[in-house]
Amino acid sequence: MTKSRVNETERMTITRVFDAPRELVWKAWTDPKYVMQWWGPKGFTAPVCQMDFRVGGKSLFCMRAPDGQEFWNAIEYHEIVPPEKIVSSMYFADSKGNKVEPAAYGIEHEAIDGAYDVTIFEDLGNGQTKLTFIGNEPMESAKNSGQLEGWNQILDKIAAVVAGLVQAK
Amino acid sequence: MIERLSHGPASVHRLTEPFALSQQMISKHIACLVRARIVIKTKRGRESVCTLRPAAIKTVSDWAISYRRFWEESFDKLEGVVNEMKKLEVKK
Repeated sequence: MTKSRVNETERMTITRVFDAPRELVWKAWTDPKYVMQWWGPKGFTAPVCQMDFRVGGKSLFCMRAPDGQEFWNAIEYHEIVPPEKIVSSMYFADSKGNKVEPAAYGIEHEAIDGAYDVTIFEDLGNGQTKLTFIGNEPMESAKNSGQLEGWNQILDKIAAVVAGLVQAK
Repeated sequence: MIERLSHGPASVHRLTEPFALSQQMISKHIACLVRARIVIKTKRGRESVCTLRPAAIKTVSDWAISYRRFWEESFDKLEGVVNEMKKLEVKK
C-alpha cells in the first residue's frame, strides 16, 4: 500500500469492520443525509451538515454537545477515489467555515504539519468492509500528552462546564 | 477547589481555607458542583465532606478533550447507520 507521505510519528488510527458492502459504507460516509446521523460523539447531534464532496470542495459540519455547546468543523477534500479512499483536511471552524484554533473550543488537538486525514475503505469480501481513518494527529498526543498537564486542563474544562450549567439554569 | 479535591476528599471547612471567600460563598459553589453531579457531599459527624465523583470527571474529559473519542464514537454511530441502510437495501 502506498501512502502519500511517510511519517515518523505514529498517527492516530481508527479502524472498524462493517458487516456491509463497501458501496454502502462509502455512501454513509459521503452523503450528508447519513453523515448527519453519525457525526459526533455519543449524545451529540449534528444539526448542520453542508457537504461539497468533490476535490477542492469544502464541507461544513456542526455538532451539538448534550449541554448545547456547538462545535463547527470544516473538511477540505484533496483526493477522492470512490469507493476506496479519501484524502482530506479537517479543522475546527466557526459557523461560516473559517478556521479557528481548537483551543478556542477548549479542545486539545495537536495537528501534524503538512499531513492529511486519510480514510480508506477496504472490501474484505463476504459483504464486509474495513474502514480505516488515519487522523492528522500523533497517537501520543491523542493518548497521553502528559497526564498531569492534561489533568489540569480537564479541571479547567470542568469549571467551564459548571459555569455553563449554572448559566443554563 | 476541584484541584484540591483531586488529591482526596476534604471537609467544607478545609476547602474554604485557601480562598478569600466566606464559607457561605464556598457552600454555594459546592452546591453547584453537587447539582452538576461532579462532587458528592456526605456528612461525617458535624462536618460535611466533599468527594469528587470519578465518573463525572471521566465523562467531561472524554468528550471535551479527545479527538480520538470523537472518531471512535462517530464510528459507533456510523455502524448503526450502515446497518439501517443495509436493512432498507434488502427490502428493495
